[in-house]
Amino acid sequence: MSRADKISGFFWLFLGVLVSIEAYRLGLGTVRRPGPGFLFFYIGIFVSIMALIILTRAWVARKIESEKIFRGQNVRKAIYVLISIFLYALLMEPLGFIPVTFLLFLFLLGFVEKKRWAVALLTSVAVTVAAYLLFETALQSQLPKGIIGFLRF
Amino acid sequence: MGTLIGTLVGVLPGLGPAAAIALLLPSTFHATPVSATIMLAGIYYGAMYGGSTTSILVNIPGEAASVVTCLDGHKMALKGRAGPALGIAAFGSFIAGTFGVIALSLTGPILSGVALRFGPPEYFAMMIVGITVLTYLSSGSMVKALLIAAVGLILGGVGMDAISGKYRFTYGLQVLADGVGLVPVVMGLFGIAEVLENLETEIRRDVLATEFKNLLPTLKDWKDSAAPIGRGTFLGFFLGLIPGGGAIIASFASYAIEKKVSKHPEEFGHGAIQGVAGPEAANNSAASGNFIPLLTLGIPCNAVMAILLGALMIHGLQPGPLLMTKAPDLFWGTIVSMYIGNAMLLVLNLPLIGLWVRVLKVPYYLLYPLILLFCLVGAYSINNNAGDVLIMLVFGVVGYLMRKFQYDAAPLVLALVLGPMLEEAFRQSLMLSKGDFSIFISRPLSLAFLITAALLIIIPIVTQRKKLATLEE
Repeated sequence: MSRADKISGFFWLFLGVLVSIEAYRLGLGTVRRPGPGFLFFYIGIFVSIMALIILTRAWVARKIESEKIFRGQNVRKAIYVLISIFLYALLMEPLGFIPVTFLLFLFLLGFVEKKRWAVALLTSVAVTVAAYLLFETALQSQLPKGIIGFLRF
Repeated sequence: MGTLIGTLVGVLPGLGPAAAIALLLPSTFHATPVSATIMLAGIYYGAMYGGSTTSILVNIPGEAASVVTCLDGHKMALKGRAGPALGIAAFGSFIAGTFGVIALSLTGPILSGVALRFGPPEYFAMMIVGITVLTYLSSGSMVKALLIAAVGLILGGVGMDAISGKYRFTYGLQVLADGVGLVPVVMGLFGIAEVLENLETEIRRDVLATEFKNLLPTLKDWKDSAAPIGRGTFLGFFLGLIPGGGAIIASFASYAIEKKVSKHPEEFGHGAIQGVAGPEAANNSAASGNFIPLLTLGIPCNAVMAILLGALMIHGLQPGPLLMTKAPDLFWGTIVSMYIGNAMLLVLNLPLIGLWVRVLKVPYYLLYPLILLFCLVGAYSINNNAGDVLIMLVFGVVGYLMRKFQYDAAPLVLALVLGPMLEEAFRQSLMLSKGDFSIFISRPLSLAFLITAALLIIIPIVTQRKKLATLEE
């Protein structure tokens, strides 16, 4: 816990200072007419003070068994998933809802979860179709059409 | 009808009441204004209850007001007590909602007059209390909670500053121009982060194997919950009344109060049923309370109400004091419908609990992609903007890291919501007083709030010192 707190403490300290500097640049105004940066300047300082408290505590505390921060075995899996959903978000509009959804599920089921390809394929199709029907047709949300947009459904 | 759809939508993580109403708005254009309002109200209620369902079962809040329900509700589910949790949430919501509606009709005119006397200093102080209350009940170190709350305030400042018109903290990113957005943040912090964490540590979902025999809460549950429901209802209604208050604050406040009042505070965070009953009641009665300023004064107190206001205006109505005289049937019609909506909520949802539960039995490897998909689509559909999705994902990572480093996410959410209002109130207060800080102390209400906040911060420090002292002896 101590080591983690030291890392996070530094992070917040850095952030707090950054915010205060930015707020100062935005303009503090006067006490009579507070400017855009007024409150945030002090909040940034507050954050830094809190961070210092955390850091001090972490320093002073007696060392407990050093815990690993990332306890689980499957960090890699989480990272894969994370990358895939980031790609989803980025490719949503260029490629369109249907392709990205299909690809996402294919990737998650087939690669990350290592299901059999047939299963992954079928499920991906089923889910994509169902999702499309649900969101586009039933709820009428406007999902991006992307490159197959010319196929007007 | 609206209730059913509302619940369905509310269950989906990310599609909160605001999104639900926004999504379904076009379909209400065909109806008359009265029925449109009724349907929208039904959606609102349904979505709020649906949000609690996901909170309890999957530990992902369906929307902001359900965050508190996650705390104890999910723990109850893990202990195999999901049925009673859901049941109590439903009943509590029903009772509170009914009471709320009755109270609404009785007190509407009077109370809005009182709330109007709140000036900027009072708002500021009240919001400070709200935030400190939340840090008080945070698990883990209070310093961390305060820090996180401050971070939330900063995030709330991203975007355009209403008073000066300047862009803050946006760094030229178009997507941030309107602010960070509550829904993507909440979905990321709680939804995505949860999934990521589960993936990393492979939590077994053993609870799903147990049979849900007890769908109904036991008698003891009822006894335990009665008082919290009562308190939650009162609290929620009053908080919903005040512009800027609302279901979110109400649920947090109720949780804090229940924890303080309880004889077994250690149970909170581990499955105390009062932690579900109180906040659920509070957020439903706050929902009723929310309607008052809208219908009587024409002032929406949160985003959902603002959308409703827009909807009403599209139908050619002008909410406000004139509404009650010119179109009394709308006012009373809405109230009646809300009562019906509540009843429907209860009737529809109890049998459906079995259905919701079965949803969870879906194996996780299929479930989590689906959850992710809903989150992704949900985030996108807020503004038809993929940028919101990215924000959600960024906060998903942030939330995940926060869990790893043991920071509680809840204060951030509240601070984010209150941030802009807090700052505005603050600046208005100072402008009012021409730079005199004592305005916050000289006004009685504001002073009372600030003292409460100070107490909430000081008491834990004192108790901690005492504990340390006794330990060392």
